[in-house]
Amino acid sequence: MLPLDVQRLTKAYGSNTVLAGVDISLAAGEVLCVLGPNGAGKTTLILTLLGLVKADSGEIRLFGNQQQGITRSQALRQQLGVMMQIGSLSANLSVYEQCDLFSSYYAHGYSAAELVQLAGLESHAIQRFGNLSGGQKQRLLFALALAGKPKLLFLDEPTLGMDVEARQALWQQVKQLRQQGVAVVLTTHYLEEAEQLADSIAVLHQGRIVAKGSPEELKALMQYKVVRCRSRLTDAELALLPAVLQVSRKQQQITLHSRHAEQTVRALLDADQQVTDLEVRPVALEQAFLHLTQTPATQQEQAA
Amino acid sequence: MNTVAIYRKEAWYDLLSILRTPAFVIPSLAFPVVFYVFFGVLFNSGGASAYMLVTYGCFGIMGPAMFNFAINIASDRAHGWLTLKRLSPMPVPAYLLAKFATALVFSLAIIVLMFSIAALFGGVRLAVGQWLLLAVVLLLGTLPFALIGLILGLTLSDKAAPAVVNLVYLPMALLSGLWLPIQMLPMLLQQAGWIWPSYHLSQIGLKVIGMDQGHALSIHLLLLTSSSILLAIVAVWSFKRLTGENT
Repeated sequence: MLPLDVQRLTKAYGSNTVLAGVDISLAAGEVLCVLGPNGAGKTTLILTLLGLVKADSGEIRLFGNQQQGITRSQALRQQLGVMMQIGSLSANLSVYEQCDLFSSYYAHGYSAAELVQLAGLESHAIQRFGNLSGGQKQRLLFALALAGKPKLLFLDEPTLGMDVEARQALWQQVKQLRQQGVAVVLTTHYLEEAEQLADSIAVLHQGRIVAKGSPEELKALMQYKVVRCRSRLTDAELALLPAVLQVSRKQQQITLHSRHAEQTVRALLDADQQVTDLEVRPVALEQAFLHLTQTPATQQEQAA
Repeated sequence: MNTVAIYRKEAWYDLLSILRTPAFVIPSLAFPVVFYVFFGVLFNSGGASAYMLVTYGCFGIMGPAMFNFAINIASDRAHGWLTLKRLSPMPVPAYLLAKFATALVFSLAIIVLMFSIAALFGGVRLAVGQWLLLAVVLLLGTLPFALIGLILGLTLSDKAAPAVVNLVYLPMALLSGLWLPIQMLPMLLQQAGWIWPSYHLSQIGLKVIGMDQGHALSIHLLLLTSSSILLAIVAVWSFKRLTGENT
């Protein structure tokens, strides 16, 4: 019984197709990261799963129960935790009061004091929400998402506005939740976050999952390395080096994409003995991701 | 989960949050009370004081009911707070009843304030039964205005809500005869007064002290009740429309 199982989900606003047949499934203790450029349909996907937006067709199963439209049963909501991107609480209530209110909604959740602790806001418990910093607000919203000890957790851009320390603390908490068997759906703009947390990454582009796999698998899809150097060779000469896919130059700094970095470097050093600042790097997930989302668009443009 | 606890906490924290907003509390209470002191006490003799106690009492309870619902719900929507609550197991009636309870607390505060001023400084003398009945009428009369506020809160943006509430509140009060006795309005406006729930509420209140226009109580009750039911239907429809759309 998967916490989340989605099949052929579609949604269009008028003639604008936002989700064009999305399939995702998520097991207990799995962190799924949904990546995609703005407008890829991430937000609509999350809203549809949560029952805030009605899908046009397709199936959503939560803990094995097929969902009809936007209704989510009381029993189901007891098992969900949600941290939305836009989430602001009553500015006039204190951290403790918000926790007290939210904890009352759940049958087997955390107490108010435990939630304050989860948010790491013990020293700000009597401070009103309106007076918290952006990062502190995010931490409180994260704690409230955990109020019911959820089995399925939705985190929409959870570390937006957090400093490095708070972000790492939240990552640590998500890793602990995963160990406890919580299934997590995460959207983020930070690729480092996806690399750190995700068991699998689904790349959403133009309403479709264009790639899915572990962070390593996605990187493997992009089997090339980046070679950086300074050299007196011209672009044309560089492009003729073995295994080179692409040449770009920013002032003196040359960047080569190579299918086989060793061959490229050997030939480069033979051709120019004065090469300096040589550097070989694996491709960053960010580039892998950009490449994946650019490809279908480029293909479409060519088809058009 | 203890359902009673949810309702209790929801109501308590809604009230607490409002009480910590002096910019809401002070005008809500001061506006009708100052009007009443000015027109009902300082510039009037005994009879008009009682009449205006009822009409300014109606005016007083309408304000917080409409503003609390409209502005707070519009702002809860704008900030995603309502969405977050809807995704939680919180029963929606707990949220709405909490707001209604807050409106009742304000109504009660206004009733106590204005009754005290009327008795102490306005020379208003009523039987105990009349005081109590009038208080009950005003408390129950909070409902239709809370529903109007709810509809506005569910449909308007948080920026538009305050202005639109004023646009509904002030003309409705004037046209129902809450500022000036309705007999002083032009005939056309007097007849148009029948469409406002506030007119019927004030007439029921005035009946308690025997100063109404003399229409049957049942007509006012019928019209007030049916307009409340109509407003409730529109409110439910607005809520459904809201939850069906992307918020």
